[in-house]
Amino acid sequence: MTAAAGESAAPPGRLARVPWRAMAPLLVLAGLCLVLGLVAPNFATTGNFGRIATSAAVPAVLTIGATLVILMGGIDLSIEGAMAVAAVAAALVVVAVPGPWGAVAGAAAALATGAALGATSGLLHVGLRAPSFMITLGMWFIGLGLAIWLVGGGTVSVRDSELRSLALVRIGGLPLSVWVALGAVLLAWVVQSRTRFGRALYAIGGGEDLAVQSGVPVGRVKIMAFALAGLCYGLGAVLAVAQLGQGNAEIGEGRLFAAVSAAVVGGTSLLGGHGGVLHSLVGVIIVVVLSNGMILLGVPPYLQQAVQGLLIIIAVAVSLDRRGQGLVK
Amino acid sequence: MLIGENLRKSYGNVEALRGVSLEVRPGEVVGLVGENGAGKSTLMRLLAGTQRPTGGRILRDGQPVTLASPRDANALGIAMVFQEQSLIPNLSVAENLFLGQDRGFVRSGLIDRRAMREAALRHLAKVGLDVNPGRRAGELSFAQRQMVELAKALALEDRVERDLVILLDEPTSVLEQAEIDLLFARVRALRSRASFIFVSHRLDEVLAISDRVYVMRDGAMVAEAQASEMTPTELHRMMVGRGVRTEYYLESRQAPPREEVALSVRGLGKRKAFQDVSFDLHQGEVLGLAGVIGSGREDLIRILFGFERPDAGRMDIGGRVYAPRSPAEAVARGLGFVPSERRTEGLVMTLPLGANITLARIRAAMAPWGLSRRRERALAREWIDRLAIRAPSPDTPCRHLSGGNQQKVVLAKWRTAGSRLLILDHPTRGIDVGAKEEVFRLVRDLSDEGVAILLVADTLEETIGLSHRMLVMRDGVVSAELPAPAGGKPDQVRVVEHMV
Amino acid sequence: MTIWQPARPGLLRRRTLLQGMAGFAALAATGRPARAQDMPTLVNSIRSLSNPYHATWNQGGEAFAAAIGAPYVTLVTEGDSEKGIADIRAILQSTGGNAVINVDPNDAPDARPIVEAAVAAGAHVLTQWNKPADLHPWDFNPNYVAHVSFDGVEYGGRTAQVLIDAIGGAGGIVALGGILSNTAAIDRRTGLDATLAANPNVQLLDFQVADWQSGKAFDTTSAWLTRFGPDIKAIWAANDDMAIGALEALRAEGLQGQIPITGIDGIQTAVEAVRAGEMAATVFWDPFWQGAMGLSIPYHARTGTFDPAAEPPEHREFYGAATVVTSENAEAFYNEHIAATPEMDFEDLWGRVSGQIRQS
Repeated sequence: MTAAAGESAAPPGRLARVPWRAMAPLLVLAGLCLVLGLVAPNFATTGNFGRIATSAAVPAVLTIGATLVILMGGIDLSIEGAMAVAAVAAALVVVAVPGPWGAVAGAAAALATGAALGATSGLLHVGLRAPSFMITLGMWFIGLGLAIWLVGGGTVSVRDSELRSLALVRIGGLPLSVWVALGAVLLAWVVQSRTRFGRALYAIGGGEDLAVQSGVPVGRVKIMAFALAGLCYGLGAVLAVAQLGQGNAEIGEGRLFAAVSAAVVGGTSLLGGHGGVLHSLVGVIIVVVLSNGMILLGVPPYLQQAVQGLLIIIAVAVSLDRRGQGLVK
Repeated sequence: MLIGENLRKSYGNVEALRGVSLEVRPGEVVGLVGENGAGKSTLMRLLAGTQRPTGGRILRDGQPVTLASPRDANALGIAMVFQEQSLIPNLSVAENLFLGQDRGFVRSGLIDRRAMREAALRHLAKVGLDVNPGRRAGELSFAQRQMVELAKALALEDRVERDLVILLDEPTSVLEQAEIDLLFARVRALRSRASFIFVSHRLDEVLAISDRVYVMRDGAMVAEAQASEMTPTELHRMMVGRGVRTEYYLESRQAPPREEVALSVRGLGKRKAFQDVSFDLHQGEVLGLAGVIGSGREDLIRILFGFERPDAGRMDIGGRVYAPRSPAEAVARGLGFVPSERRTEGLVMTLPLGANITLARIRAAMAPWGLSRRRERALAREWIDRLAIRAPSPDTPCRHLSGGNQQKVVLAKWRTAGSRLLILDHPTRGIDVGAKEEVFRLVRDLSDEGVAILLVADTLEETIGLSHRMLVMRDGVVSAELPAPAGGKPDQVRVVEHMV
Repeated sequence: MTIWQPARPGLLRRRTLLQGMAGFAALAATGRPARAQDMPTLVNSIRSLSNPYHATWNQGGEAFAAAIGAPYVTLVTEGDSEKGIADIRAILQSTGGNAVINVDPNDAPDARPIVEAAVAAGAHVLTQWNKPADLHPWDFNPNYVAHVSFDGVEYGGRTAQVLIDAIGGAGGIVALGGILSNTAAIDRRTGLDATLAANPNVQLLDFQVADWQSGKAFDTTSAWLTRFGPDIKAIWAANDDMAIGALEALRAEGLQGQIPITGIDGIQTAVEAVRAGEMAATVFWDPFWQGAMGLSIPYHARTGTFDPAAEPPEHREFYGAATVVTSENAEAFYNEHIAATPEMDFEDLWGRVSGQIRQS
């Protein structure tokens, strides 16, 4: 797991040169799985891994989207709002258009809505030169408000639609949604590491002024990043609607914190320029495995949140490269 | 090849450039000197495309051009190598080299990393830098990064048909002597394919490398001459417009230090940095530390101020053990630290003078009912007078002050805190000649008051000139202790012998 | 006293932003000046409009307001107690106290400052669901008209009983609870526990909190399937959203309909699931009634139809009547309530009083 878009220069065979710090999240995950495998009943079964994967599909897609923005040094608070309006759009279209085309149209509607909201965030952020924190905060409420307005606070059931096949049809023992999520992660990883756009994300995150001076089209990259993030949220919405059989404005509730903390746990620094899609994926898996494990162990509900908070602190403390930092805020 | 004709630039109603003209011919190295505020940086920015002139024009190979952005300048073969490090630390060397220019490496939508690496190696070879292009830029030393930036500028060769013009803005301020020599060698070797404009405060260096020199003062070009016909003193005079005190380092003011020992160090050591360092620093004494990078002197001063802890040895102040676990403890014992990275470590740039001056001793601004802005402002005005700080008002945020004035504020801070021992780390870096003199004067003032000073200076000459005594370090040990009394200063050559 | 200018403007906090927006909305909605002295402003204060339960509540309020021709305002707390209280104070201010407020407080302690503010301003107020045990309408005659709740204990227990009957009185069940500190969550759990205590052959395998959300219920149920597998005979959920989440988790494994699930709230999806045999029961509170009658009762107090001080305690603090929807009555219920808009007699103030609230 490399810590930068480029390759790290570790000559093979030298133990001291292994990027321990960069691999810390992976080690945390391995450690967690090992411990749970030993003490939790049925943790290490294919059935359970399948369930973990299913539970991780939606958060993974959301976190991937957020990662694109975080790499640039920004933050996207609009996840819940984007997801809400995309989910509602999907559900309404699915109900309105009969047959399997309804599912396709619904998915397309969700993706388009998410991307549109994201692009708007990006345009406002770049055009108004306002911090991403504030713009996406506003877009969160706009998205949520739109979603509530569209369904009047109710919920739209898509129980019998073909869209549900994403959640109910299995390939290789895993629901389609997991494969779709994996595909999205793979695509995001290729974009991040092998395209100029991905390179620019890291450049902007590591030194935006320099990037501007060097001729990187920062404005365009930012808008693109937010739009792609929105697309991911739309995809997350589609998967969630398929999974829960309904589209409503609450579908995104609580997901912002989960997505951002997963990214951080995985090693994607909120300061920008470090980490990436694969890091974030590891973070998501850690969070989901931990939740799963706590239920398998019967941890009391009121302790679970504390444990998750502890996890975040530990993960950040272990994986953060403090050498380069003078003062820490 | 590159001509600036009657260039003007105004910021609001402040005229930074008043009709400046200069010319760079093929294969030339042109030096550009002037005090801070003379307009050198502004001129560079116009030529590099970062700013647009409000009057006059720029001609490239005889054609008038408009540089709307650095990209435009790059397209015409003009590139700037910046003073403050301009590489993105979390990207690799190769990625930095081709930042914004990676279009050529794209195949079917994806970047061809191998091709990029090969190209990077080729460019790095041009400046003689042997590093893995895959390494993160943040891991390289200052000197290496400077070379990468030079390579980045040279990389334009691949894309532009003409000979390049490379603008070097204070490239040597963070380099040690050996590295400077290397840089100059490279520049000379590259003259066949590029011309250079070399901006620096170090007049002797400018004369050493340039063919011609331009001197600016107060926004105008006041002189142009062949480097071979100029001396630093002459340049200085033209820059400052008045007679230069022959006594640059105010040697005559160097009075013998007092008897009392301010700081006593015995057998101090830090693994992998230095070992067995012992000395006594007296009140009113300026002790200069000389040494190249890796000699251990930077680590030594960090330990003295409590940034890190030593592995061996002991320190005493006033007879009591001094073992600071943090800078706060160092300050409590009366130490002050003037850092080399003024912008990030010396001042809070967004705060006004008064706030910075009281930063180490907030009580100076306290009234019975709490923090008093009035007291703070009064304190600021007092120091503005005493140190002749040029600032529009006591409320000016420090980032608007010039380097020299910022340094005065830092010194004011420690004097307000009542420091009896100051550690000066490259105190005159990035400051123009006139301001340097003022800093030297302050150093003498402090000595007179009995403040002990540990000095790590920008140049060897400065170290020798200012110090009462010098400790020369090499590879982590003190290789020599040389007295430097007024009138009996050691030769630079002799000192260097002990450094390498 | 600060000694320096902030480097950048204060960051807007979500709460302040919402307060501002709601404040504007409230002021905009009450644009009509208070010259129509006889027509008080009707105010519904609820958690949010993004859940079906409160959305229906809001519709009830709108219907009543339309029926009597009064201005109507909706306030949402978004789960923020301070915002809830602040919004109500703002509306009291802008209406000069000429208001009738029906409030579902975000948290029990919120009821007191809300009631006191309303009473002080001369408005009439009715609270639902959450209030502190020592706060009573009869201590604030005549403005604090009534408190309405639904017996979470009773219905939590009754749904549990439906489950136990469905599995033949023996086996293991799992339970999904609401936000730990919510009164409703606590009450319903108490009912569940009581019923379980009376049925010793049934074990509670595990109790987890899913915060009233279907997503969390989905994940929790999936993990339970790993942990307990076929030992799970039934799933009890404290509300319908969680029940649906659990149901979908079963469906992902092909187990829907094989394990009975109960929820509470009576939302459409749940009723349909009961009809389809995928859920065993849900409880319908009739949020439409809550939203409408919650305004009608204090409105009639204000217009003098009755004097709260003269009413018996079971009209001042009472449990409303709820409907348990099971496979037996699901069809009929669906036809009456969901396929058609229910008729509501806004004048029937006490028709659904099912008993006085237990004094603890």
